[in-house]
Amino acid sequence: MALLANILAWEIPWTVGPGPISSVLVNKYGSRPVVMVGGLLCCLGMVSASYSTNVVELYLTMGFICGLGLAFNLQPALTIVGKYFYKKRPVANGLAMAGSPVFLSTLAPFNQFLFNTYGWKGSFMILGGLLLNCCVAGALMRPVEPKASTESKNKVGVRETDSSMEKRPKKLSIWEKINKYLDFSLFKHRGFLIYLSGNVIMFLGFFAPVIFLAPYAKDKGIDEYSAAFLLSVMAFVDMFARPSVGLIANSKLIRPRIQYFFSFAVMFTGICHLLCPLAEDYTSLVVYAVFFGLGFGSVSSVLFETLMDLVGAQRFSSAVGLVTVVECCPVLLGPPLAGKLVDETGQYKYMYLACGAIVVLASVWLLIGNAINYRLLAREKKKNIHTKESQETEPLKTSQSPNVNIKSGETETWKGTEVNPSERETNI
Amino acid sequence: MRALQGLPGPRAPSLPLLLLCFLAAVRRSVEHGLSTAAPFTSLPVQEEITMTKYSNLSLESHNISVTAAPFTSLPVQEEITTTKYSNLSLESHNISMTAMPMKENNKGNQICVDRGIMLQRNVTLEHSNMTVEKNITLERPSNVELTCQFTTSGDLNSVNVTWKKGDTLLEDNYLVNATGSILYTQYRVTVIDSKQMGSYSCFFGEKKQQKGTFNLKVPEINGKNKPLITYVGDSVVLMCKCQDCLPLNWTWYSVNGSVQVPIGVPVNDKYVISGKHANETSLKIMQLSEDDQGTYWCHAIFELGESEGHVELVVLSYLVPLKAFGAIVAEVVLLVTIILLFEMYTQKKKKPSDDGKEFEQGEELKLDDSNGIENSGPRHRKNESVGQ
Repeated sequence: MALLANILAWEIPWTVGPGPISSVLVNKYGSRPVVMVGGLLCCLGMVSASYSTNVVELYLTMGFICGLGLAFNLQPALTIVGKYFYKKRPVANGLAMAGSPVFLSTLAPFNQFLFNTYGWKGSFMILGGLLLNCCVAGALMRPVEPKASTESKNKVGVRETDSSMEKRPKKLSIWEKINKYLDFSLFKHRGFLIYLSGNVIMFLGFFAPVIFLAPYAKDKGIDEYSAAFLLSVMAFVDMFARPSVGLIANSKLIRPRIQYFFSFAVMFTGICHLLCPLAEDYTSLVVYAVFFGLGFGSVSSVLFETLMDLVGAQRFSSAVGLVTVVECCPVLLGPPLAGKLVDETGQYKYMYLACGAIVVLASVWLLIGNAINYRLLAREKKKNIHTKESQETEPLKTSQSPNVNIKSGETETWKGTEVNPSERETNI
Repeated sequence: MRALQGLPGPRAPSLPLLLLCFLAAVRRSVEHGLSTAAPFTSLPVQEEITMTKYSNLSLESHNISVTAAPFTSLPVQEEITTTKYSNLSLESHNISMTAMPMKENNKGNQICVDRGIMLQRNVTLEHSNMTVEKNITLERPSNVELTCQFTTSGDLNSVNVTWKKGDTLLEDNYLVNATGSILYTQYRVTVIDSKQMGSYSCFFGEKKQQKGTFNLKVPEINGKNKPLITYVGDSVVLMCKCQDCLPLNWTWYSVNGSVQVPIGVPVNDKYVISGKHANETSLKIMQLSEDDQGTYWCHAIFELGESEGHVELVVLSYLVPLKAFGAIVAEVVLLVTIILLFEMYTQKKKKPSDDGKEFEQGEELKLDDSNGIENSGPRHRKNESVGQ
């Protein structure tokens, strides 16, 4: 059993670790091929797991191959949402993230049924087949612009891009070459750093309450099935929370201040955890599960939306790769540390209090950081408006959708003469 | 030990109802008996079950107390106290008192009490059965002492006491003792082999009989409730275990039709019977084939009898999940083909007039959003970035 837990634990870093690899691939080849390869890898991993005869093989197949495939699915899927949508991007993100709780709640009884009908070997095979459906999702990811059309008549902006690029020196340093594939210069991006640090703190205490919800309920004297039902309640609320929060985040009021919204969502979740020890009986635990589902859903739905908002769709694929690889440390460390805390103190409530405190701390950090960031951005924008007035502006740049707020973009984007969608994202 | 003391006899002519009792002879147990309790008052029944256990070889004594109490049909209250002590315990017996007998006891608690009036007695006849049961698990030969207590406010001497094993009336080995308002009866039996196992019942009274039952059983074996699913060519381990017992021997049987066929009798490579501890056994079957499907029984042999558990084995061929997998793969391939074909078709349509249509969604957004080509752009721009 411990070995099994080890396998599953090792699978997680393989899901987020190869993030940079898939970022590089997405940057080079686009989303669609990567997702389809990912789907094939997942299926291959699961099917070969069904033929494995010992634990090591299981680790290699399920942990490594399947994890790699899943990573290849995650990155491009997130990236492509940013590429397809702009006006309704928060809603799109919310809907896209809503897929996980749907499957979380349906897969548990489905797995039980598969296991009872086909045994574990057959179950792995069939689950591998189901994962092959990722290829269908990949097929739907039409490349945003077919390569041929860049040569065809385009609007002014792109031409200017090409022409201005030609003016630059062709020689690129090593660092720039690396940055072409994976944008390490993101580490100089203020918003990105705030996001990353806040998230690292948050993920330390984010997943442990989910994992320990059922054991906590059992510890309170609730029977197994009701305890498992709590998780289903949470997943169910989560399912509806994510798209609705996406809708809210898309509104005119919230979208300009979506970073604050994210911080508040994190704070809500943290407060939920802090109040959890007050729940003594089953009904109050159900209430807690409902609120937790709300909090978890709202955080997850705007999690990547805020990153897109900060760095823009262009750099998003590298950003998400870097973010996931850094975040994989607290995600891995959090639950075992929480478990250790439970073992030491003998009670679950201290763990919940600790997790709640960590998450609230992260939210405060994000709030303050983003407040500063917004101020600085506003200042930079004002500076840029002055400098911009002396330059010609392309018509495309000004045609912004009304939802986009007026806060300034990053300095660099205004300096350049190219039209780039990323500048618009960083405007917010 | 034999003692017959204070047998209730038709001593009191003042209790006309008691004349209905006739002395213990062969008596068919009639549970819907006539009332034999004291006439005037209707006696509510109260029960106590006490169990004491001590062993020299190993002596176990179990008590059931059956009480008749006055007035209305009160639900019977039961107390169960267990005290265990051993002087020369050679082994530890766990008398597993499962919830089941408790519930059964509660069932028997619905005593419809005799209202004491002759007229009404006939009415309440059908409710007058009263059964208390206790399950006792025995593994090894022991001396067993079974005690029933009967409390009544009427005349104890008029209450008839009998013991039965199954349906057979027992003539000796029991004593009856009256103390105050409690009537004790104790039956001792030395259990050596399976012949002495079974149900022992004590009966109080004649017509309206209160009955207490002790069920002597061998320990139960747990197999598996859900079928084990395996595939052709695999090997599987079937396990049976019992909670705290040490059987003398374990044997495995497979079912052929309705006949149990022993396994492993001609020792071959296919079946390996082993067991890490004495209270469990495992049967390892290699090279499964579809013929091996079915139910397997494990028998635990005790000195006092046999007990069995079962495990169901299902052997599937690889084709079974493969069909489901193939169906899913076919569906995926179909969908991907449809999507790609549709895309090619719409692109062909778009080609002649592709200027305006390229900027459908968030137009400026898509401009140089193509995945690989313009990436050098932001990188260059970064070089000029002032910093943040």
